[in-house]
Amino acid sequence: MRVRTTLTVVMLLLSLTGCASFGQVKPWEKGNLANPSMGFATDVLGARFEQHVYGSRENSSGGYGVGGGGCGCN
Amino acid sequence: MASPCSITIDTRNEGAAQHAADLAVTEVRRIEHKYSRYQPDSIVSRINRDAVRAAVAVDEETAGLLDFAERLWQLSGGCFDISSGVLRRAWDFRSQQIPTAEVLRAALAGVGWSKLSWDGASIRFGEEGMEIDFGGIGKEYAADRAAHLLRQHGVENALVNLGGDIHALGPRGRDDGLIDPWTIAIRHPRKAEESVAHLPLHRGGLATSGDYERYFENDGRRYCHILDPRNGLPVTHWQSVSIVSANAVSAGALSTIAMLKADDALAWLEAQGASYLAVKHDGAVFSKGAPPSTGLTQPGTA
Amino acid sequence: MAAIDSTVGSVLVASLLLPGLTMVSGALRAESAPEQGLIALKVAHYSDGQPGWERVTVRSPQLYALVPLAGDWSLEGAWVGDSVSGATPRMHTFESGATPSMEDYRKVADVKVTRYFSRAAISAGLTYSTEHDYTSRALGLEARLSSDDNNTTWSLGYGTARDLIDNTFSGGGVADQTKRTDEWMLGLTQVVTPNDIVQINLTRSLGRGYFNDPYKDFENRPDFRNTSIALFRWNHHLESLDTSVRSSYRAYADSFGVRSHTLGLELVKSFDRWTFTPGLRAYTQSAADFYFDPVVDASGAPSPVLTRRFANRLTDKHSADQRLAAFGAVTAGIKVAYAIDPQTQVDFKVENYRQRASLTWGSGGSPYLEPFSAISMQFGVARKF
Repeated sequence: MRVRTTLTVVMLLLSLTGCASFGQVKPWEKGNLANPSMGFATDVLGARFEQHVYGSRENSSGGYGVGGGGCGCN
Repeated sequence: MASPCSITIDTRNEGAAQHAADLAVTEVRRIEHKYSRYQPDSIVSRINRDAVRAAVAVDEETAGLLDFAERLWQLSGGCFDISSGVLRRAWDFRSQQIPTAEVLRAALAGVGWSKLSWDGASIRFGEEGMEIDFGGIGKEYAADRAAHLLRQHGVENALVNLGGDIHALGPRGRDDGLIDPWTIAIRHPRKAEESVAHLPLHRGGLATSGDYERYFENDGRRYCHILDPRNGLPVTHWQSVSIVSANAVSAGALSTIAMLKADDALAWLEAQGASYLAVKHDGAVFSKGAPPSTGLTQPGTA
Repeated sequence: MAAIDSTVGSVLVASLLLPGLTMVSGALRAESAPEQGLIALKVAHYSDGQPGWERVTVRSPQLYALVPLAGDWSLEGAWVGDSVSGATPRMHTFESGATPSMEDYRKVADVKVTRYFSRAAISAGLTYSTEHDYTSRALGLEARLSSDDNNTTWSLGYGTARDLIDNTFSGGGVADQTKRTDEWMLGLTQVVTPNDIVQINLTRSLGRGYFNDPYKDFENRPDFRNTSIALFRWNHHLESLDTSVRSSYRAYADSFGVRSHTLGLELVKSFDRWTFTPGLRAYTQSAADFYFDPVVDASGAPSPVLTRRFANRLTDKHSADQRLAAFGAVTAGIKVAYAIDPQTQVDFKVENYRQRASLTWGSGGSPYLEPFSAISMQFGVARKF
């Protein structure tokens, strides 16, 4: 991915947070979001295992977090 | 409190919850007693008796409530006015009589926040026949204070309900570890056995103002207990307005002001960014911010 | 009376000035240490196979613990022990080989400490992983910052890993090779509606060192690999069905020339104490620039002899590793969880994975790739305390 594409995506991200119509969700409306199924980091061990399995059989590991360390599988 | 009050706690530690609840109930009774019109030694009674003669100094808690009342008077354009209680004398709900113009004028002479002076430490009435009461604030404040105490004592999943003024600390606890909101049934303004909606509340305050709490009907017209301080007449535009907010005291203020604002209410609530459910005089329901599963109809203008 | 503009939240703001009401239920702290600790045990079993090859089997017990400390801190630790056995091809998979079966044991241990502030959190973690021929040490740092209304969270991460590859004591020819990777991640999590939350993560990683697979013939990979990854995730709650829909898309590109796309979709639905999560994953990748296809003989069938002869003459970067070929893959699975009580959950997940050149999206996969299938099962218990 070129630098230009990265910059475009970053600008898109910034404009997302600037949009007045986005994210006007009040704290008392966030009940559904508090459900575990709506989180991004739920089953820690399961996610790690799957990413390790995919990483050892495909050539695209990463993107979900930093600092997990390497292994002899890829 | 003349209405049923309850504190519901979902907990795994019954002893601790009971202790916290006891403290919360004590606090509610304290506030009820302190701001009651009927207790001769309450601060409200003392003010109503003495403030016409000389400025009455008040404590920090009362000062905070008076500051809040003043701010609501400003933000509502004069609709919300805690000196409007004297209009009670003109509207006698027991005799079910509509007051004459003279009686109304006489009562209105004592109504108006601008007719008293509040400097942040003491209050003084500028006219005879003036009174203040915390009717639109007191119960909601007590609900929020009760919730505050519960949280301070480690309670996380509880609902404080003081006669319809509600503060939810946190959602219901559930067996499987997921969460459920408290489901609050909003009473139908005309059919006492039915609900106009069920609002899910995870945390925050909910309050409802309605024309059905105290009223009489005369010649097919309803005269309710919410009286407009500007003309002394009961409101007629809305049957009820329910507000969901971060706490009960703001929810109660917004719902009362909305009832008084009549057809300007929705625009004013939108400007406030409030979540509301309002039932118009003809039964039409308007809502914003309430989740779709409540089965409500269109949002928008009155 | 002065005209006061009724601005958004002005009644609410006024209410917060009341004595004793500064703590408000509706205003949540953006970042707070978890209220409860968690301990989870998982046992995973993975088995894959290709026609003509002995299956590779992995048994993996795993342990994870999360402990909140002193109100503003949390400590996490994990330990994983993989037992791997089986055989993998030395070149393209079409060549049936007398490859010795291998058994290996991989242990990973990591700790992570997080400090929470009212709108932010920072964490630092260390990972140590070891197999008989491979050791990895890694450090990860992350900082998160949330907006006042807690609807927007930015995150910035940095990770670095140092790997050591050496298989001499088991008779191999790779001695004392190292690899170093540094990666940076920028993330944004945004609450969009009461039922929608999205996350975008951009990762850039730079790797230098030894990238060859020590057990494959004809390996000459570049000594660096730089990757760029964009991950987009969207969780949507469908009120009408009381179901959560979790979707994700990851775009990957690296300096080996591999471009890949990963699409994932999961549904989460609970009935009472049971939760069902069926999921689908679709994957496609293009071949690395230096991947070479098998050479065919006169009949059009891939020939090990001709391929080896061809590979022997290659001087540039080259590799015959199937993982660098062009192919697609589909995973279908389901997880079933049961809450024994509010603090304890057991779960079971089974997934079927199929990798084939024919599943490549678009232009087509590498020729003569053997289909590859795997089944994995995970059984877990988690308890909050």
